[in-house]
Amino acid sequence: MEKAAGRGSRPAAAVLMRIAKSVILVAGIALSSPVCVHAQQSQAPNQDQAASPSDVDGETMFATSCGFCHQSGGRAPGKGPKLAGTTHSDDFIAERIRKGKPGAMPAFGRAFSESQVMAIVAYIRTLEE
Amino acid sequence: MVISAKYLAGRAALALAAVVVAPPASAIDPARLQAAEQTPNDWLTYHGGYKSHHYSALDQINASNVKNLAVAWIHMPGRSTRGLQSMPLAADGVLYYSGSYSRVYALDGATGKPIWSYFPELDEELVAMQTHSPYNRGVALGDGKLFVGTVDGRLIALDMKTGKPAWDTKLVDSKKLTVGFTGAPLVVKDTVIIGSQGGEWTSRGPIFGVDVKTGNKKWEFFTVAGTEEAKATWGNESWRTGGGGGWMPGGYDPETNTVWWGTANPAPLYDWSGADWQKSGPRPGTNLYTTSVIALDPDTGKLKFHHQELPHDAWDFDSAVGEFLMIDRDGRKLVVHPNKGGFIFVYDRANAKVQNVWRIAKNINFVKDIDPKTGELIGRRDLSLGAASSPLCPAIAGGVSWNSGSYSPKTGLWYKIAQEWCQDIEVVKTTPITEPMSQLNIGANFKLVAPPDGPARGHLDARDPVTGEKKWEVTFSEPPLASVLATGGNLVFVPDARGVLRAYNAETGQELWSHNNGVGHNGGIISYSAGGKQYIAVPAGWGGMVADEFPALFGEPYKSMPKDAGALVVFTLKQQ
Repeated sequence: MEKAAGRGSRPAAAVLMRIAKSVILVAGIALSSPVCVHAQQSQAPNQDQAASPSDVDGETMFATSCGFCHQSGGRAPGKGPKLAGTTHSDDFIAERIRKGKPGAMPAFGRAFSESQVMAIVAYIRTLEE
Repeated sequence: MVISAKYLAGRAALALAAVVVAPPASAIDPARLQAAEQTPNDWLTYHGGYKSHHYSALDQINASNVKNLAVAWIHMPGRSTRGLQSMPLAADGVLYYSGSYSRVYALDGATGKPIWSYFPELDEELVAMQTHSPYNRGVALGDGKLFVGTVDGRLIALDMKTGKPAWDTKLVDSKKLTVGFTGAPLVVKDTVIIGSQGGEWTSRGPIFGVDVKTGNKKWEFFTVAGTEEAKATWGNESWRTGGGGGWMPGGYDPETNTVWWGTANPAPLYDWSGADWQKSGPRPGTNLYTTSVIALDPDTGKLKFHHQELPHDAWDFDSAVGEFLMIDRDGRKLVVHPNKGGFIFVYDRANAKVQNVWRIAKNINFVKDIDPKTGELIGRRDLSLGAASSPLCPAIAGGVSWNSGSYSPKTGLWYKIAQEWCQDIEVVKTTPITEPMSQLNIGANFKLVAPPDGPARGHLDARDPVTGEKKWEVTFSEPPLASVLATGGNLVFVPDARGVLRAYNAETGQELWSHNNGVGHNGGIISYSAGGKQYIAVPAGWGGMVADEFPALFGEPYKSMPKDAGALVVFTLKQQ
């Protein structure tokens, strides 16, 4: 059985800090924006799960749907560019998530709520160069 | 010479007549499709024929004269987003092929002159939201019609002569499920069969049987838990978001009226439960019928038998890739099928009982081995939550990809591309997202890396398909992603990732000829005859999912290679 090893892993506290940052950022945005639309995350009944429907965890969302193209959790180029240390603004990144790039990246604007989009942006900002 | 003098004279007469009136084409009926392997002037199905040899018996072009092979004509379909991934078909001197957005063309096989074209109107807003889109891998012929699938979940039938739509049936609610069709359909008697995408998403990956005449759906087989017994192999009702799919066309055995099809992986692709996958994690159990070869009745869609190549596939190594090569050996009727993990399975054609398993990829550690007598996985590597201590091999791009190999009855060899790469991987707990539309459910962050034995690369192997014994091998610095073609002229054609089409001596692997088509190849390759001349037709055009890994892994020429270019390039012997 493959054990989760220490190679390249971040200390647990740092991971918690990251998640906390994402949640705080998202909470901040939710409080400040007049409209807050949550897309539902529905789970299969009785399924072992980490996230609950009200959770908007950028890191989990990233591993669910973004990591397929943005390798190493966004830290390395792959099918998509490296995101860690990006010089693009939050607005640019959010718009790219919403609108995609024809022939290169899908448009997630209709699929993800604004909270989810911003949670992903927040996660990207935590990535070390 | 396969093309007899009498035939040539007949064709010459027809060619003269063609100036005034179109040559008569006999119907592409079940008999003609069943005999496809014996009529090398045509290429009537995606795999060349129901036995999936991907072989052309034509030998007008051969090892002695291939140095005189030159471009006869080129056709550009336009809008080649993500390249040109299609396998052309040829019937009675007419070439049919599809481009991205399921654009379809019928061209004069000798001159490339367009006969008709059809561009279906797709839900482009939906297409913009899809990942594995908008490319199309090919069409099917039968009942006077041409069939093509769309990424927005439809199967369309066009009149073969005019290109006018005969029917257009919506099969998948792609707006909700995100997936549609990229693979070619397969016509079997009066049913046209097509399998949806699915493995990375949260649905159940159906395969459909549709009436060729009316377009009415006859049957639907869910690759995820398609039977009551199969539901029990998905703990906590995880079959509801199981993934699956059957996104490439299979084969057909007329002797037993059995369709062979390959199914895709379950979702999420990676599982955090490690060795406890039978009882815990996102999808406890073996997850039937994902990552399996299944045998269906083409008339009813009922499952006849199956073999699950990778029970509880935890690595995204689909059985949906590749061909179902049907050959006879020492009185045994066999089916040879590649699994994406890099193992080749050899089955008894009557019941899919494993006869042999051999590996074509060199770098494999997702299992220690697979028992060649039973197919049992030995020493499976189940990852648990967090970063894996060493790279997983092969990488998500596979030890083989969906491009087909080619079998030559002359040499007895199967020519097949294998891939060498691994990946760093960190498994993450994810939750299926089904609202408002199905999203990718991957379950890990990963990064492709070189394998332990050298650089990331590919190789063309010439192998005995049953024993796996290797005759020769050619290494490529980057894996070719297109299908290959063996011919009766003792040649093997390989369209490579850099854009060069190469011809090798089928016996020895010596390179005899090459030509630069200008952009990487990621589609099919066929040979056919028109007006008494043999042609080789190959689509060039780059930008599929595996191709997208190349810039980060290999740098140039892939960093600069366009992902929206495409051309069908057709070769013949220069006039001497």
